[in-house]
Amino acid sequence: MPAETAASELRPRIKEAAKRQDAVEALSLARQFLASSNKAADVMFCASALANLAPALEKAGARTLKAYVVRSITFEPILPFLTVEAAFAGYALDTRIGGYGSYVDELLNNAGALAQFRPDLAIVALDLDDIAGGLADKCATGDAAGVAAEIEESAARIGQLLHGFRSCNTARVVVQGLVVPDHSSLGDVGDANLPQSLPAAVLELNRKMAEHCRTITDCAFFDVDRLAARHGRSRWRDERMFLASRLATASEFFRPYARGLVRSFSALFRAPRKVLCTDLDNTLWGGILGEDGVEGIATGSAYPGNCYLEYQKYLKRLSARGILLTIVSKNNRADVLEAFERRAADLALKFDDFAATKIGWGEKSNAIRELSEELSLGLDSFVFVDDNPVECEAVRRQLPEVAVLSAPVEEPWRLVEVLAEQPYFDALTVTMDDIGRREEYRAQAKRAELESGAANRDAFLGSLGIVCTFQSALEAPLARAVQLLAKTNQFNLTTRRRSAAEVEAFAAAPGGQAVVVRVRDRFGDAGVVGLALARTTGAVCSIDSLLLSCRVIGRGIETALLARIAEQAQRDGASRLIGEFIPTKKNAPCATFYADHGFATCAPSQDDPAGSVFYELDLTISAPASPAWITLEGVARHDLSSTAVPA
Amino acid sequence: MTSAVPQSLRNLLADVLEISPDEITPETSMATVETWDSFRHLQAVLAIEGEYNVQLDPQRIPELTSVGLLQAELEKKGVAL
Repeated sequence: MPAETAASELRPRIKEAAKRQDAVEALSLARQFLASSNKAADVMFCASALANLAPALEKAGARTLKAYVVRSITFEPILPFLTVEAAFAGYALDTRIGGYGSYVDELLNNAGALAQFRPDLAIVALDLDDIAGGLADKCATGDAAGVAAEIEESAARIGQLLHGFRSCNTARVVVQGLVVPDHSSLGDVGDANLPQSLPAAVLELNRKMAEHCRTITDCAFFDVDRLAARHGRSRWRDERMFLASRLATASEFFRPYARGLVRSFSALFRAPRKVLCTDLDNTLWGGILGEDGVEGIATGSAYPGNCYLEYQKYLKRLSARGILLTIVSKNNRADVLEAFERRAADLALKFDDFAATKIGWGEKSNAIRELSEELSLGLDSFVFVDDNPVECEAVRRQLPEVAVLSAPVEEPWRLVEVLAEQPYFDALTVTMDDIGRREEYRAQAKRAELESGAANRDAFLGSLGIVCTFQSALEAPLARAVQLLAKTNQFNLTTRRRSAAEVEAFAAAPGGQAVVVRVRDRFGDAGVVGLALARTTGAVCSIDSLLLSCRVIGRGIETALLARIAEQAQRDGASRLIGEFIPTKKNAPCATFYADHGFATCAPSQDDPAGSVFYELDLTISAPASPAWITLEGVARHDLSSTAVPA
Repeated sequence: MTSAVPQSLRNLLADVLEISPDEITPETSMATVETWDSFRHLQAVLAIEGEYNVQLDPQRIPELTSVGLLQAELEKKGVAL
């Protein structure tokens, strides 16, 4: 068989690539190899090839993570699958597995095995017996009140455990939920009708656990039951292997399990993409507008038009939580406008629902690059959907940062599925800023229009009526501050992806500052757009992080933020301000930030971390001042009180 | 005990145990291969079950500590190796 031949050729090539530490090649071959194989041995082969590649993977852009598995079930056989799926998702995992019965100690003892490993990620995988051992018996007796109490107490216990962990450890956490049992002593009919059914109780327990997870910073709930239901709950667990070896997942599902786990923890480490670029012909609607005409394209309530309508509705819902929709299509613009107008009743999206469009006959990769510039969003924020394999391949080659999805032209009913099964837009929180983003981008377009008419920069900026409100990160929504740390790339001086706990630590430390800046102007409220973390020790204030959303760069807000930090630092007794710049591929826009503000380069010292450049400013000679065109709001840290906070 | 280990079983065990297929003989066992611990053993069993579409009796699993014993068990189950 040709597939067999291909697979047997791939094995030695994977080995060779691994041998010469070519991570990119090894990954791409392994992906190809495992796309056509479901064999455990093949996965283990790849895991062992990739295991020795961690440094090369990191060089190729993967993130190295130390993961600690806190468990009461057998996890070891899943490890190679986890390693491989994590590598495919861009993580080089270094995993340690805890003891069976020691999860309480591991989570709460800050000198225990977990704490000593200093993981970036803790995975908590417990079984129903450990979380709510009495639940099945209570359900069987018909004691509905007892069941409710058991659920409440069990979830609260997990919540306590997690809070306890969080108070002594900053590692991000994934908490695995429970799989709803496929049967109980009440039988299918009893489970469907009685108030104390076990399946309903476990679902409720999952819901409550997820609720507790939301109260813990940097914590995600992994709904493993959703995967079990997708693949069949009756097959998800191999009872034989569970009873003999405490293996909670049947081996045939190790890969989807590992993939689901990676997808869940990924949301703790990586910001969601922000822009969806859709093609029109045979993607947003069926058929080709230029050939089939406005009336000939398929969209609307009848098949196959409803396949496309479902896709449009899905896009509209993405847009409702702040994902920007854009069009990249080879068409005549006038035809497209006419289609949106005349077929409005058959389309779930209006032309205005798109934040930007590129309709013409140029290269699609150029169009996407232009969109990236116009929206000031990095290419790694983009997802491109197109039915044409040639277009897809061209974008993949020319813009490797863009995620490319092939629209299933022969199976249009799968459009939504193809999009939904990708993790690109996964987010643990949706903030008001996300929802307002679309309006903000429109406002940005208007501002650009005004800018071209303004006589000079200061007059223009003055005409915007910018108001900056400073708040402690503890006062502002902390989730937004952490989100900014995670996703800001261009105007980010050190690109340190600090966690919520670390931000809190800055805010709470003596001489520490964790300041967010909220910005509004006459066109709208941009929300929380910037953050700075700094700490004064003695006469020196060091700025750990300073970043600003690229939507608001160049309006003096960065200067206002720096002035604010300097002011507080002086109040804390500092006479020298130290700035740090760590160059990355993306943060060129802020490379001269400190120099532009009168800082002098520090002479490099042996103790400096590699890659960092330090700058210093003598605050007794000159302190940065906020630009005249910005109105400042917000009070100094030491007189923060509920009454002093501006409305 | 069979004298030669079939290619498919040899390749599978080589992947699981991270050793070369050439090293695998019927006498290869948990006692002779350093990487072959109880978790590798479970992995090997799971991989074998998937590969040959069989289910091994959990009580027998800990006893199948060598390649020859695993092979004999599969043959007993009527697996065409």
